[in-house]
Formats: sequence, C-alpha cells, structure tokens
Amino acid sequence: MKNNLILEVRNLNVELGGEKILEDLSFDLGNKEILVILGPNGAGKSVLLRTLLGLHSFTGQIQWQENVHIAYVPESFDVSPGLPLSVKEFFQFKKTDSQKIIKSLQCVGIMGFSKFLEKRLGTLSSGQLRRALIAWALVDKPDVILLDEPMVGIDIHGRETIYDSLVKFWQKKNQTIILVSHEIGEVCKKANKVLALNKRKLFYGKPKEIITPQNLAKIYGSTISV
Amino acid sequence: MEVQFLYSLITGFFIGGVAGYLGSLMITKRMALVGDALGHVALPGVALALIYGFSVSLGAFPVLILGIILIWLFEMRTKLPMEALTGIVFTASVAIAFLLLPESQVSIALIGDISQVGFLDTLVSVILCIVTWLVLKKIFSKIILANLSENLAKVEHIKVEKYNFIYLTCIAIVVALGIKVTGSLLMGAMVITPAAAARNFARNLSQYSYGALVIGSLSCALGILAFKLSALPAGPLIILVATFLFLVSLIFKKLT
Repeated sequence: MKNNLILEVRNLNVELGGEKILEDLSFDLGNKEILVILGPNGAGKSVLLRTLLGLHSFTGQIQWQENVHIAYVPESFDVSPGLPLSVKEFFQFKKTDSQKIIKSLQCVGIMGFSKFLEKRLGTLSSGQLRRALIAWALVDKPDVILLDEPMVGIDIHGRETIYDSLVKFWQKKNQTIILVSHEIGEVCKKANKVLALNKRKLFYGKPKEIITPQNLAKIYGSTISV
Repeated sequence: MEVQFLYSLITGFFIGGVAGYLGSLMITKRMALVGDALGHVALPGVALALIYGFSVSLGAFPVLILGIILIWLFEMRTKLPMEALTGIVFTASVAIAFLLLPESQVSIALIGDISQVGFLDTLVSVILCIVTWLVLKKIFSKIILANLSENLAKVEHIKVEKYNFIYLTCIAIVVALGIKVTGSLLMGAMVITPAAAARNFARNLSQYSYGALVIGSLSCALGILAFKLSALPAGPLIILVATFLFLVSLIFKKLT
C-alpha cells in the first residue's frame, strides 16, 4: 500500500444470499480525502460501506491503513421511545467526557446541551436523532468516518450546517470521509472523489469530471439536472 | 432475630437484587419470558436436588445449561422459531420432573422454600450474586448498544456473540439462584416485575437498572419479613410485594 493511502480496494466482490451485490470493484482513498458514493437504489452502496467495515464477507482485497480508527453512521437506527436511555448515556457508551460530547454536538448544530443530553434517545425527532448519531460517530475523533445517507430526515438548512461543520471538522482534524448520498449538488462540490456505482463501478474520479448530465443519466437512468 | 431467618433474608435480598438488575436487560432485549421458561426447564434438576437433599440451585444449573444447549442445537437444526423450541424443551422438562418428584416436594419445587438455607448456601449465593452483578455491570452498555444496532456495536469492536454468551450464562446462574427463593413457577416474576416497575419511573438507564435492583431486593426482603410474620409461604409473598410495587410505579408513569 502506498504511503499516503488510507484505504485500498482491489477486485472486491460481495455476494449476499446467492446474489451478486458488488462486482470487481477497485478504488482507493488518500488521507484527508472525501469520497462520495453515488448510485440508484439497490446499487450496493450500503453493502459497500458495511463490507469496508468488515460486516460482510467478500472476495478480493480491502486494505486499511494500520491501526486506523473508523466510525460509522448507519442508514437506519431506530430506538424505541420506551427505552430509558438518555442521550448522555448513549455517548458514555464510548467512555468520553462531557467536554468532548458538547464539542461534537456543536459540530452538528445542536445547542442547549444540558437539556438535550438529559432527553431520552428514543424521543428525539428523526432529524435530531441523525444529528446525535453523527455527533456520536465524531466524539472519539476517528481517522475515518463512514456515513450512510446521513441527511435522511434533516431539513435543508440543517444539511448545510452539518455539511459545513463536517468539512470544517475534517480540515481541522485530518479526517477522511466516505459518504453515501443521493444528493448530487451540495455534497459533491466538497468531495475530492466521486464513485458512481451500480453493482459495478460506473464512474470514478473528480466531481467536476463525473457530475455531468450525461453521466448522471447513465447512473440514474434518466435526465437529472444539478 | 434468629440466625436462620437472617440467612433467608440475606440470600433473598441479594438474589432479588441481581435478578431485578438482569431483568432490566432482559426486558430491553424482549426476553422477559425467557426467565419464566428457563425456570421450568430447570425442574428436573430441582427434583433431583430435593430427592437427594442437595442445593436446589446446584441441581438447577447443569439442567439449565443442558436445556439452553438443546434449544440452541434444535434451532440450528430446524430453524424453527426459538419460542416454539423453548416451549418443547420446557414442557418436556416439566413432564420429566413430575415423574421424578415425590408429591410432598412438589410445592417446594414450584414456589420455592427460602426458610431452610444454611450458612454455606447463603455465603455461596451472596458471592455468586455479587460476581454475576459485576459481570452484568461490565457488559451492560455493550449489550444495550448491540441491541440498538449490531452493526454499530461491531464497528466499535464489541464481540457481540461473546457478550451474548456471557449474558446467557448470567441468566442461567440467576435463574438457578432465583428458583431457590421463589421456585420454578414464580422465578420469571423476579426478573420481569421489578424491572417493569423501574421502567415506569426511570428517566435514564442507570435509574432503570438500579431501580430494578432496589425493587428486586426490597420485594424479597419485605416478602420474607411478611413470611416471618404470617407463616404463609415466602415465594408467593415476594412476588406479590413486587407486583404491589409495580402497581405503585404506575403512578409515576404519567408524570414522565
């Protein structure tokens, strides 16, 4: 593996329940880079993230930099409203202190910490829960953060805040980010690389080169304007 | 105060506490009735212990482990739902136990008898309760996180299978201990009722788990005191105290 790479993927194949989900996928990611993964529903984007995390078996090669600390924001995360688990306790699963919790909550635009931390996790709105989950991923300063559709349920204003703070956080903390998203506009402008996927690699490169109306039509199967 | 009564009180107090604490995890994992079913699975071991005059918990524990392994093997082999297989194993256990049990011992097996515990039995129970509680305390947050999202837990390097195994072993130990206090038939309530009561007023996880622990201990202590005063059997009294505390907790439900 080259020195400045944090992740190298070669000829990755994933099969789930006898069905090929990912075929012959190769890409790599440098330190501090942002990679956005695009693709239609069922393209295997979430499976790719989970495979990178070691949650699915695969053939081929996935090589992370040694001792890399990875955080994950899953696509779905449901908490029963009846579960008496406070936001603070949820963060304490990671053995972290209040200062760090407050800092990471600021990153995702949550104010009024003391009240927020006492709330039950299950009673948060879906947008608040997403934010809390992103903050939870950030709190112990991972080297890489993998986010699967992190903005589901968050309003447009909120998305901007979160993306802005994520980018700032990334610049300050030298974080590498892998992001699965349906949104083409705001997100991709901030990315270093875009990987368009539909079981196989469709396009891979700089956002300016990839995000063209013609390519998007190929990715999503119809005309989409940015 | 008689020494014998003190032994009963101490044994009940500790077992009730750890059973309540464990119950808070079991309700969260939707395994509340598992304690009840395992209480029945243990019956053949309880029967042998009563016939040959050794500790009921000692008889129950190996049978519980055997029962859990059987259910697990059947599940691997058949892919039938776990609850159906548990049903088969626990009714078969009850059937075997009733062929073995002398009639005079039936009520002890079913509703327990804490009035005759000796010093050694008390000491061993207390030590086991403390150790099991410490283990549960250690794995508590990991089990809760794995229950929220197994993927998230695995990314945090939590070995989910390992912790589930430890958790199941703790259940077997607590059920074996609890059978001594309230018997096979009522054991389930020792894990369900205190935790359900605590959930009604708890605002967070520590209020929930420690609330369940306190209510479990309190139910046993008050139940055993009531037994001393009334000469009615202790097992049912303990469960009724716990049920009463559950009813009281309903008052708080609206406020939170």
